[in-house]
Formats: sequence, C-alpha cells, structure tokens
Amino acid sequence: MRHVASVAGRELRSLFVSPIAYGVLSLFAVLAGMFFILDLSWFEQALLQLQQYPDQLAELNLNDLLLHEFYGSISVVLLFLIPGITMGVYTSEKANGTEELLLTSPLTIWDIVLGKFAAGAIFIAAMVGIVGLFASVLFIYGDPEVGKTSSGLLGLLLTGWTYVAIGGLASAITRSQIVAFLITLVVLVTLLLLPGIAEFGIAGSGSGVAAMLRWLSVQLHFDPLLNGLVDTADLAYFAVMIGSFLVITKAAVESVRWR
Amino acid sequence: MIESKGLTKRYGDLVAVADIDFSIARGEVVGFLGPNGAGKTTTMRMLTGFLPPTDGTALIAGHDIFSDPIAARRAIGYLPETPPLYPEMRVESFLAYVAKIKDVPRAERGAAVDRAIARTALTDVRRQVIGTLSKGFRQRVGLAQAIVHNPPVLILDEPTAGLDPLQIREIRALIAELTAPSQGDTQQTVILSTHILAEVDAICRRVILINQGRKVVDAPLSELTTGGRTLDQIFTEHTARDAAFSMEGGIASKPGSAP
Repeated sequence: MRHVASVAGRELRSLFVSPIAYGVLSLFAVLAGMFFILDLSWFEQALLQLQQYPDQLAELNLNDLLLHEFYGSISVVLLFLIPGITMGVYTSEKANGTEELLLTSPLTIWDIVLGKFAAGAIFIAAMVGIVGLFASVLFIYGDPEVGKTSSGLLGLLLTGWTYVAIGGLASAITRSQIVAFLITLVVLVTLLLLPGIAEFGIAGSGSGVAAMLRWLSVQLHFDPLLNGLVDTADLAYFAVMIGSFLVITKAAVESVRWR
Repeated sequence: MIESKGLTKRYGDLVAVADIDFSIARGEVVGFLGPNGAGKTTTMRMLTGFLPPTDGTALIAGHDIFSDPIAARRAIGYLPETPPLYPEMRVESFLAYVAKIKDVPRAERGAAVDRAIARTALTDVRRQVIGTLSKGFRQRVGLAQAIVHNPPVLILDEPTAGLDPLQIREIRALIAELTAPSQGDTQQTVILSTHILAEVDAICRRVILINQGRKVVDAPLSELTTGGRTLDQIFTEHTARDAAFSMEGGIASKPGSAP
C-alpha cells in the first residue's frame, strides 16, 4: 500500500495534461450552471405563484425545492460524464504497454487499484466542489439549512465515487475504451432504473427480488441524503458498493497473470 | 544473479516453455536466442514476475520470484518488446515516476533520473512529451526506465526490434556501455533476447538458444564458434531439425505423454 499515492498522482497528472479533464470539468460547470439557473427561476416562479396561499408559501424553502432538484439533476449529469472519465483508466495502460511496467514493479495490485480509484475520487471531489460553489451562492441571498445542503453534497460525492468504482471495473475487463464507456453507461443507467424495474418488473413489487433490486439502487440511498437524513445504512450501502467493485477490479487486473 | 530452475509455462495442452534451467553470474551478458515463437518473451515475462510459471521458479539476485516477489522485482530492470511509455508524459517526469514506483528513495530520485538520462543520451529531449518522440528515442526512453533504479539485473526483450540500422547501432553501443560500468554504477547482469544473430556477436559473451520452449544450447560464444563455425550455422542446425518435427507434431510437443 506504499504506492497508492504514487499511482494516484500520476493518474491525476495524466488527466490534467490531456484536454479530457478540462473538457469534462468545463462541460460539467456549464451544465451545473444551466441546471442551477433553471431550478432558480423555477423556484422564483413558484414563489410568485404561491403569494396568494400564505400557508403553502411557508412550506417553500430553498433546500427542499431548489437544492433537491439541483442535486438530483447533477447526479444524472455525473452518470453521463463519469463513464468518459473512467473509460481510459485501465485500457490506456494496456494500450501503452505500461501494464507490464506496473506489474513488474515492486507494487501490489492494491497499490494500482486503490491509486487509480483515489485519482478518480479526487476528480469527482473537484466536481462536487463546483456544485458546492453554486449552492454556497444561496447562502448570500437566502438561508438554506447547512445540514441538508452538505448532506446532499455528501450524497453526490458518494454516488460519484460508486460510479467511478463501476467505471474502473469496466475499464479493467476490456481493452477498448469505447467498450468500457458503453458497459459503464449501460450499468449506470440500469442502476438508475432499478426502482422502476422493482415496481413493475416480473418480480412483483412485494417479492424478495424486488427488495433486493431496490436495495441495489443508488437512487434510493441517495434520496435520504438529499433530504438531510444521514443514515448509517445508506453510508454502508455506498461503502459496500465501492468496496465490492474495487475487489472485483483487483481480481480483473490480476487475471492478466493467469490467462 | 539470475537462476532459472525448471521454469515451465503451459497453456492448457500447449507447452510454451518447458523446464528451462540456467544460471547467470554477476556481470554476464547473455544472448537469449531463438526463432520467433520459441518462448523467449514468455521466459522473460516469468523472470520479471509478469507471468507466473506453471512449474519451477527463479531467483533474481537471490530473491525467489514466488516467495519474495517485491524484492525480486526491485532488482530487475525490464524493457518489454514494446517499451512501456505514457505518451502524454514528459521524459523526465516519466522517469521520475518509474524511479518512485521502483522504490528509489525520494532524496536520490533526481540524481537517478539525471543519470539514466545521461546514460541513454536523452538530455536534449528530457523536457519533451514522449508521444512526440521518434521510435529510436522512445526505445531509449524504454531503456532509461529499465535502468533508472540502477538494478543489478537487466532483462531486455528484443531491444532493437523495428529500428533502422543507425538506431540499432546506437542502442547496441548503449547496451555495451551499460554492461561496462563506470563510476559507482552497479555492474549489470544482462539477458537480451533477439533473433538477430549479429546482435549476439556484437554484445554477448554467452548464448542460450531455445527452440520450441526448450533450451538447446547454453555455452560461451567463444566456445561455440571454435573451428570456424558461425552462429548462423549453429542456429540453423538447432532450430531446423525441430522445425521439421513441428510440421507433424504441432507447435510444441507435450513431454512424455500421448492422448
């Protein structure tokens, strides 16, 4: 584990010398800004409309209406951007032949897997930081709850990290960036649709399979965090998801040796 | 320095490398010869720890590749067939990264990189991005990454493949220089695989010839060429007979077994 930081450092530097990181970050900032403005104007409209109903107006607050919507949209943006970030994580090592350098260096496979995950995690943290900047603007003009605002950001961070772990595995099991991208996208979209599948699927909404599908869904563990509820069960879900995908990724990287 | 004890690699029924034994002393420069597909790369990959042997083991500078893989890998400088390079990195930062993951202490890294750059004559391009370098330069960066941590053992897999005659001469001169140590460098033990016989003549003092995964010749070059025999004749003699055999018997023979 001595070399996690070495691997992560190189990974991040390579991300930032290529235009990909900047492209993704700018695209992300623009999209986040767009959603922020849309949600803000929608909130303003709601505010005007509810002037006639003072009792409902009292219910209206920045967290539940504006930030909830905003964070929700961002989680979907992450779902589409992260496959692009992770697709090259392992495939490029195979293409460059540097896989052979890594595996013949005094590194453990965990150094490689954790290093690469850490780099992705830091990149996602930067993206969530941008989201935090938008949210912090609201503190200047209003008084959103600090707790809900930050638990939502935590939710975004954990969701992003889960997606990175999934994308890393996809990149480790193929030699093609495009295949890695598509696998990740398909898996992430499926995860997003899981609650729906659980409701209307063949399993029937009451069965154990449906409960299982619901448990697997990122959305259903992200929602409580959006609503300001930090439950250990939800945190454990993210830990289990990230941990399992990293363990499988480690096996996938190692499997080169056994083929 | 390098001791191979019955190294064997099987892929199902196919025997890629069968029971290879040899022992190479400190400072020896050994030409690892054989026709394409003889098992040179597979043997080297087993020595470097990239592929685990099906049977047998090897000692690198006294460290068993199974029981002490990290120490064994630390003692090896390895140039695979395609030099492992990150095209987006600059020469010097790439070498600094390799020095780091090869466990060169932080305080010595700068000097280690400078020395590797000087020895491989890369000073003019040290700030250049690897992807913009010519093939000859890239091969030199590949050599530089193999020697940056001053390893006692160098394993070079076809170091001159695909280069033009001028570049070939440069790389050979460089290897010759590496094996004649100057001021405080470790005397390097070298295994160099090739199917170019002139290369062996030019740099090696000992020849190990393998054919169809088996060692067929292991002798000092001077001994082999007594009586006016050329390396070419020896090579043909030991590989031609088996080539005829392979026409009927498949790519590799299975030792002592019939279905």
